[in-house]
Amino acid sequence: MTSTILQAGTRPRAIRMSPAVRRELALVPVIIAALIVGTILSPTFLTANNLLNNVLVNSSVLGIVVVAESVILISGYFDLSLESIVGLAPMVAVWLVLPSSLGGSGLGIPSWLAIVACFAVSAIIGAINGLLVTKLKLNAFIVTLAMLTLLRGVTTGISGGQTLSRLPAEFLFLGSARPFGISIQIWIFVVVVIVVAAFMQNHPIGRKVYALGGNQAAAASAGIKTTKLTIAVFVFGALLSALAGLMLTGRIASVTSDQGNGLIFTVFAAAVIGGISLNGGQGTIFGAFCGVLLLGIIQNILTLSRVPSYWIAAIYGLVILCALIFNYLAGARPRRNTQRA
Amino acid sequence: MISNAIQIEHVAKSFGATQALADVNLTVAQGETRALLGRNGAGKSTLIAALTGGIEPDAGRIQVIDESGVFTTAGDGSIGCVFQKSTLVPTLTAGENIFLGHYPTRFGFVDQAAMRDQAAAMLYEWGFERLSERLVSSLEPLEKKVVEICRALQGGPRVLLLDEPTAGLDAGASQQLFTKIEGARARGVTVIYVSHHLAEVFEVCDSVTVLRDGRDVATGGIEQFSFDSIVSAMAGPVDGADGPALRRSGQPVSGDRDRSSGQKVVITVNAVELDTHSRAVSLEVKKGERVGLTGLDGAGHITLARAIAGEVRVHQGTVEIDGKALRLGDVAQAIRSGVGSVPEDRHINGLVPDLSVEENATLTVLDRIRGPWGFVSRKRRRVLYSELSSSWAIKSADPTQAVSELSGGNQQKVVLARALASDPRALVLINPTAGVDVTAKESIYSSLIELSERGTSLLIASNDDDDLAVCDRVVVMYDGAVTAHLPAGYTEIELMTAVQGQAPLAPHEDLTRHRESERQ
Repeated sequence: MTSTILQAGTRPRAIRMSPAVRRELALVPVIIAALIVGTILSPTFLTANNLLNNVLVNSSVLGIVVVAESVILISGYFDLSLESIVGLAPMVAVWLVLPSSLGGSGLGIPSWLAIVACFAVSAIIGAINGLLVTKLKLNAFIVTLAMLTLLRGVTTGISGGQTLSRLPAEFLFLGSARPFGISIQIWIFVVVVIVVAAFMQNHPIGRKVYALGGNQAAAASAGIKTTKLTIAVFVFGALLSALAGLMLTGRIASVTSDQGNGLIFTVFAAAVIGGISLNGGQGTIFGAFCGVLLLGIIQNILTLSRVPSYWIAAIYGLVILCALIFNYLAGARPRRNTQRA
Repeated sequence: MISNAIQIEHVAKSFGATQALADVNLTVAQGETRALLGRNGAGKSTLIAALTGGIEPDAGRIQVIDESGVFTTAGDGSIGCVFQKSTLVPTLTAGENIFLGHYPTRFGFVDQAAMRDQAAAMLYEWGFERLSERLVSSLEPLEKKVVEICRALQGGPRVLLLDEPTAGLDAGASQQLFTKIEGARARGVTVIYVSHHLAEVFEVCDSVTVLRDGRDVATGGIEQFSFDSIVSAMAGPVDGADGPALRRSGQPVSGDRDRSSGQKVVITVNAVELDTHSRAVSLEVKKGERVGLTGLDGAGHITLARAIAGEVRVHQGTVEIDGKALRLGDVAQAIRSGVGSVPEDRHINGLVPDLSVEENATLTVLDRIRGPWGFVSRKRRRVLYSELSSSWAIKSADPTQAVSELSGGNQQKVVLARALASDPRALVLINPTAGVDVTAKESIYSSLIELSERGTSLLIASNDDDDLAVCDRVVVMYDGAVTAHLPAGYTEIELMTAVQGQAPLAPHEDLTRHRESERQ
């Protein structure tokens, strides 16, 4: 093997885009178009203040859950229960800390320990989801739907349906800190996107996730431990969602029993608009990031342009449909049905 | 007088330059069970396709008796076919499967009662009661086979074509199936029985037709044939009594039985029992040796190869690489221990279609091509891929192209490259040239030969004569046990007899002596 003669240098690559890159960049012109439309409709739209403090900050929590869901989708599965972890994780943490007079447990656990505990709980939930879909081969849709309902119920149960507020400073930090004048929410979002994108694109673990979602049998016969990897992916998704939950709680300085409710639909929309395939193995974190940006901009434009609030949901849904159709036309077609066993 | 059920006259068919059927004549009487035999490439599949209306013959006439006893030109549905691969819908009942798409109706709705009764009646004829309302997924293999047969006969065909009907059935179930086929013959059902298992043919068939090179070369009642006469009819005239087998592509065999004598053993299979009721298999592959492993479908050679590759566990026994036992069922550990593998079907577990050519080729060694930060180094990947692609002569426009865009031959080379990426000492290949063209085949063979000459041990599990001709010796399995060791230079007849489980273990000494006497 080692004695094989190397091919005399690889051909210099012409500057042309591979289909994958073309698909990734498909949303960029749409985002630019949305920016132009926004500028025309509202004078306050194209300002640093609006773009940073409204568009990006409002997109950060959604964006982190989208990153989590994208990794799970690329691995060939999906997880509806992420939105309930966005509610449960901060609820558990805050409940452990607060005195019973404020609706907490009265255990008086230090904030840092409570935060560690809520991540641990989330990891366990992810591991259970992963075990159920791999070991018992249950369908991910129904498993995570049941988990979603269960966790939503636990969140309501812990809090007695109340909103917990008067949070310790450690919780507020994630919402109010502004390093270098920019909200920490944006920092966290951007760092998560960059790190996860780099991992998925170039780290062996990320490439194994793509292989897993692209053809599980081929991944297994290449020596990839598919069961372990799947469980790890679910745990990772749950941990990121817990982080998103803590960020949301920090921003609104309280935790409600229905925090995160309905978020998962927007999460799927952003991921799919961003080119993540529901069949697994396709799409990039950068694409998903573009999907989040586009939805954030559209949401912002709808708010600024004083569309009657009763109609916002309808228009939002219409825009998502249009984005999907555009995406299809731009070449992000669903994969060919390859023959499977 | 019994009239005929099928009459095939002077049927010919060619695909491009390949003459699949030259001149086939075949007449089967009503109620007869006729074996249709021939080696791979003899024209069997083409004839089956012509019988079932799948292809139009270039010349000749095929007539089949229809529901009302009249001879008509064969077309879609005039023969009931049961193929090796199941076509049942597991989530529907046996009755629904039998009438799938042809439901009896009443007022435009499916007449459930009629369907149930008719299905039950058909199944009863084949010896099963209370099967029609059970879900197919809950049935035994034999029951499923009978449901397939009933579905094939639903709508009235009087002729049934069975293609390898005992595949997936154990010995007991096969016997029961034979009894049922005999019962059907008594009811006047005509059967065309296609199988590689000659033992079954003697058990169940009345008569035999052997195809070779697109012609019917021998036909007659089963009593006129012996095992040996069928094998020699299938093999055809031998040029020179003990002449070397030729690869069909015309290249002489390249195996050499003495090439690895004195080398150390790399793969050791120690008394492996594939499942609870199979006998122990032992074999060794030396450094740089090319060993073929073959047998009929279900003989266990594929399973044994998959076990060595770490894909499946076995009931008992061990596999060692360089004297160290493998943990069976753990592919990653097999790769670390120096085993590379080319899986049976590249579409199922060989390739990730959406990933690039270079990424597929290096999927087994992602952890070995890291850069300083632990990320996959694109440069190292490209360097490794360049080595692999030149040793396998992979033709792709660009290493970053999706592997699904390549031709079948090049895709297979990517799977071979993937197996080789981990720089294995032992390479297990299952049907390594399945579905590739002749040019790609030759290119794969020359790479394999070069590889073994540099010291890699090859175990090639295949039913393809060309694949086996590359090997220094061929180990033949039958029914889960090794039945013969054939050193290179075996004749076609020796190989064909051995895969039928009929030959005694090849007398090594005799062959060696024979060779020596030739030299003198």
